[in-house]
Amino acid sequence: MTSNSEKRIKTLELWAAKMRRNVVDVCMQRGGYAGQGVALSDFGACLYFDEMRPDGKGWYHDRFVNSNGHDTIINFAAMAEMGIYTMEELRTMGADGSPIDQSPIESARGFEITSGSLGTGVSQAAGIALGERKKGSDKRIYCLLSDGELHEGSVWEAFMFAAHHKLSNFIIVIDNNDLGATGKTSDVLAVEPIKKKLEAFGFHARQINGNSIPEILDAFAEAKTIKDQPYGLVADTKIFAGIKVYQDAIPFAHFVGANGRWDTGYLEWEPGWQEIQNTIGRLEGELAAMP
Amino acid sequence: MLLEKDNREMVPSAFDDISFELCKRRDNVIMMSADLSQYCDLYKVTKELPDQYVDAGMAEQNQVGIAAGLAKAGFIPITSTFASYASRRAFDQMVICMGTSKNTGICLGFTPGISSPAPIHHQSTEDLGMTRAIAHATVVDPMDVTDFAQALDAACDRPGLIYMRGHRGTTPQWLDATKFKFEFGKTYPLRTGSKVGVISCGHASQWAVEASDILSDRGFDHSLLHVPTLKPVNEDEIIDFCFAHEQIVTVENHQISTGLGGLVAEIVTSVGGGPRITRIGLPNTWAPGGSIKHIRSVFGLDAESLAARIEGVLQ
Repeated sequence: MTSNSEKRIKTLELWAAKMRRNVVDVCMQRGGYAGQGVALSDFGACLYFDEMRPDGKGWYHDRFVNSNGHDTIINFAAMAEMGIYTMEELRTMGADGSPIDQSPIESARGFEITSGSLGTGVSQAAGIALGERKKGSDKRIYCLLSDGELHEGSVWEAFMFAAHHKLSNFIIVIDNNDLGATGKTSDVLAVEPIKKKLEAFGFHARQINGNSIPEILDAFAEAKTIKDQPYGLVADTKIFAGIKVYQDAIPFAHFVGANGRWDTGYLEWEPGWQEIQNTIGRLEGELAAMP
Repeated sequence: MLLEKDNREMVPSAFDDISFELCKRRDNVIMMSADLSQYCDLYKVTKELPDQYVDAGMAEQNQVGIAAGLAKAGFIPITSTFASYASRRAFDQMVICMGTSKNTGICLGFTPGISSPAPIHHQSTEDLGMTRAIAHATVVDPMDVTDFAQALDAACDRPGLIYMRGHRGTTPQWLDATKFKFEFGKTYPLRTGSKVGVISCGHASQWAVEASDILSDRGFDHSLLHVPTLKPVNEDEIIDFCFAHEQIVTVENHQISTGLGGLVAEIVTSVGGGPRITRIGLPNTWAPGGSIKHIRSVFGLDAESLAARIEGVLQ
């Protein structure tokens, strides 16, 4: 007997696998923040294909602010599945003359803000949350940021603000991958204990395995029950989680070049491309077998 | 357009009324502060229209970010703090959160230039240059109650980032509100002559008017042009004014680089063969603290000194 829950999770695993495929597809040709994109596909799948409510006009009632420009590959990966971007378009990412930017500006399809200057999105997301509440809207505002982004002081200003105004429609998700631009966050400038810090700043906080779809769904469900507090989700992720050959090859990578070169090694794209295709095939088969 | 000397008034706490009337007229405006409301004459909105007031605390970066978020939720946010903090502390947020957006985002900078009694840290003598360099931004430096109120109202209907210098405390009402109509980019002739053309903006337009009163009494042939919009300015009007005079003097409450003097020089040199331009303001130095009367005298910006400097360009 297959429960609705199992089917829901399997469906999201398939969405996540397709997002991972899209991330690899773009990055193997154009380079990019592939490790983060692959790792965040579980969160992205849950957000885009389960959590945010559709508005009936091809977009969402709820709002998603991706403050970390380095992670916008997951916005693109999801929107490719929704038909908002084509893979042909996305394969030009960052190329001379291409309209597809690695960190898009505000007018780009599906993006709420200009990201890329870290920290600035969190304040804007809190402002949107306050504004929507002032209008009497029940929209929920999801904001993704990263552990390295916590180095930016204005992020903490925004946290104080959100707690002071009891923005319970404001859900932050911190991609806690212990990775900054040049090394481990814990080596460069330690940010832990993040959960305790969020709690001290007035958040209802929770720490989960950010690569576990059941845990992500459970946290999103809990967030809806919290009154008078913003919700802070510390999502522990591992670079390239979900594609084992890449994880084994590069447990740590900030940016991976198109030719497979990264900071201190060389990544062969092809085995991972095959692995994710196999994963998609397996999940499609398992889902088809479910009643 | 300029009121006669006897009809000029001083208005106490002008911005309190300006902000209150604006919020009453436009219920989608949200006034903001970074814990400096009382120091920017913001009282009535905070007490009588609390739904239209948001205080970000002493967090200028977050103030601008929150404001940009409110704009994305359909409101017209107006941030306020001292110009030194608005420009220097929240510059990235102005550029990224508001400057790249089509939504209206207004940042007010109070006690600009040397109009703050506390030296350097509370004075902003480079904000016009900084904000003028932001692509597509609008930059306004009004001179009195009349153009400040009108410009702020007009800004609410303008897309993108609008950086505007504010006036606090007792503020002059020297422009004739029945004749003055603010338009972005427009320049306003306040006195008309032919030899020396004086161009000014903001608080410095008050100083220029004071000097002009002295010069008029002495029969010195000069013109006075008030330029409240530094960006985008009507360049043809600047060119016509400059090439109609033997010499040009710019007067600004700002460093003489990158602000009004720089703007006029850029425009005139793009034509070539224009008049000499003497730029008056802060000559690449920090200002002292103290009363504005004192600081003006230190830099030769008091009415008598300024009049003498304007006369002096012909010698």
